[in-house]
Parts: sequence; C-alpha cells; structure tokens
Amino acid sequence: MFFGKKKNKHFQSLGLASMMGIHLVSGVIVGMAMGYYLDKFFDTKPWLTLLFLIFGIIAGYRNMFREMGRIQRKEAEADAPGADEKD
Amino acid sequence: MAGGLHPIFLVEEAVKAIGLVDAHGHSLIPGNVLYSWTFMIILILVSTMATKKISLVPRGLQNFFEMVIGGLEDFVVANMGEDGRKVFPVLATLFIYILTCNLGGLFPGNDAPTANINTTASMAVFVFVYYQYWGFKIHGTHYIHHFTGPMIWMAPLMFPIEVIGHFARMLSLSLRLFGNIRGEDIVLALLFMLAPIVSTVPMYFLFMLADVIQAFVFFMLSMLYLKGAFEEAH
Repeated sequence: MFFGKKKNKHFQSLGLASMMGIHLVSGVIVGMAMGYYLDKFFDTKPWLTLLFLIFGIIAGYRNMFREMGRIQRKEAEADAPGADEKD
Repeated sequence: MAGGLHPIFLVEEAVKAIGLVDAHGHSLIPGNVLYSWTFMIILILVSTMATKKISLVPRGLQNFFEMVIGGLEDFVVANMGEDGRKVFPVLATLFIYILTCNLGGLFPGNDAPTANINTTASMAVFVFVYYQYWGFKIHGTHYIHHFTGPMIWMAPLMFPIEVIGHFARMLSLSLRLFGNIRGEDIVLALLFMLAPIVSTVPMYFLFMLADVIQAFVFFMLSMLYLKGAFEEAH
C-alpha cells in the first residue's frame, strides 16, 4: 500500500509543511476574535483584544514550531536506514 | 464546481424536478448537503457490495477495500501504537469520505461538498470534540495538565495560549481543506472559459494528486491530535 513506506515519509512531510503558514495565521485570528468578543462582553475596550492578540501570536508560533519539529523528526526517520517502524 | 461559474448541477436539478423549490427557483436543500448525501449513498452502496460475499481469499471490491483499509490501519498503528486501533474506524471513515467528496467534485455535473466551508467546518468541529472526549476519557481531570504547560508557575500564562492553540487547530483544519478544494474548482472553471478541454485535462491530473494529499493531511492531522490527547502531559 502507499502509506508507511520509506519514500512516503516525504509525502507526509509535504502535507505537514503545507499546514505551516495556516497554523501561524489561524492562531492569531482565533486569539483576536476571542479578545474582541470578550471585550464586547466585559466592555473593556481595547485591553483584552490586545492581550489575546499577543496570546494568539504566541500560540500561532508555538503551533508552527511544534509542526517544524514533527517534520524534522519525519525527515530524520526517512533518511535513517532501517528505521521504518519507529515512532 | 464553484457556485455560479458552473451551469448545471445534476443532483440539484433532480431535486428541483421533484418539486423541492422555493419561491426564487432555488432548491430547498443546499447544494453541499445534497452532494454529501449523494456521496454517502454511493459509499454505502459500494461498501455493502464489497462486504456482501466475504471470502477468506478476497476478490474484486473486497480485495481493493482490504488493501486500502489495511494500509491505513498499518499507518495508524505505526504512528499511534496499539491505542490507535480504538480510534481507527473514525479516522479511516474520515479519510475515505473526504477523498470521495474531493474526487467526486471533479466529475462534470457534480460539486465537491468539501468546497463549502460548512462541510469542512462541521468535520473539523467533530474532530475537535472527539479528541477532547478521548483526552477526558483517558486522563480524567488530569487532562488539564495538557493545557498548563511544564511549569506550574507559568500555568496562568500558558493556559490561554494552549486554549487558543487548540481552537486554532479547528480553524486551520477547516480553512485549509475548504480553500484548496474551492480554489481548484475556481481554477478549473476559469480555465474552461479560457481554453476548453485543452487546458483543463492536464489540470485534472494535478488536482487529483492535490485531492489525495488534502484528504490524507486531514486524516493525518486528526490522527496527530488524537495521539496528542492519548499521550501523558509533559
């Protein structure tokens, strides 16, 4: 079958790499939206928006770095000989 | 194909023909719902045909499905360990359903249900709820440690960041699938207007590859999120 073979580790990495950009953006969007509606609810414009925007940026970068670590592990596995079964 | 650019949707026309039409001449059931029902019916029919005469030596359709599902199972178990068998049916269903929807949209007269944000968002919300459910089921209240980060004094800072990160997964899952499939449809419709047949045939092969990758990425990310929920907190 076409999964789990050595060369298809690159196929998986391709999929993960295509997510990098959107991971970065979606964290920021979700953080900002959360802050905006919390601000509306508590009537504290603009402080919660700013705070949650910063949280969102941090979360976006965290997601992106996590994804990068996964891709690097996958590539290292694909290059290592005989290391097909390892997690 | 992208709404408005494509002249005829066969299933929608069929529904209009049996009288489910509102005052403006649109069908009462939205197109993406109709087409997801259509692909569901096709999948159910094909799978009942494949499992009607199960034999020890598989032939024909049974052989094909055993190959696909066996490959997916190997992949899930290699990545998640034996725990993966508990969630494998859901993951395989997601993959096969999304792949059918994506590829079905390439046939003339059909629309890809995944080219509508409502379809993809509903699947992403389902994946989100499902992996949080498994996290709670396995770790109980200790599941909160997944959100508080490694050090206890950083917990008030890490908690909102992790919560935003988890919600962002939902957004990125749904937006990526929707954007890719919708983009394909718009490109096909525009190319068809510029140079019919000649320009669209090569694009079909590219888009078939892209459809498989998109379905696979959705499946793989769902698996990674489930794996994250199964693991102990750091």
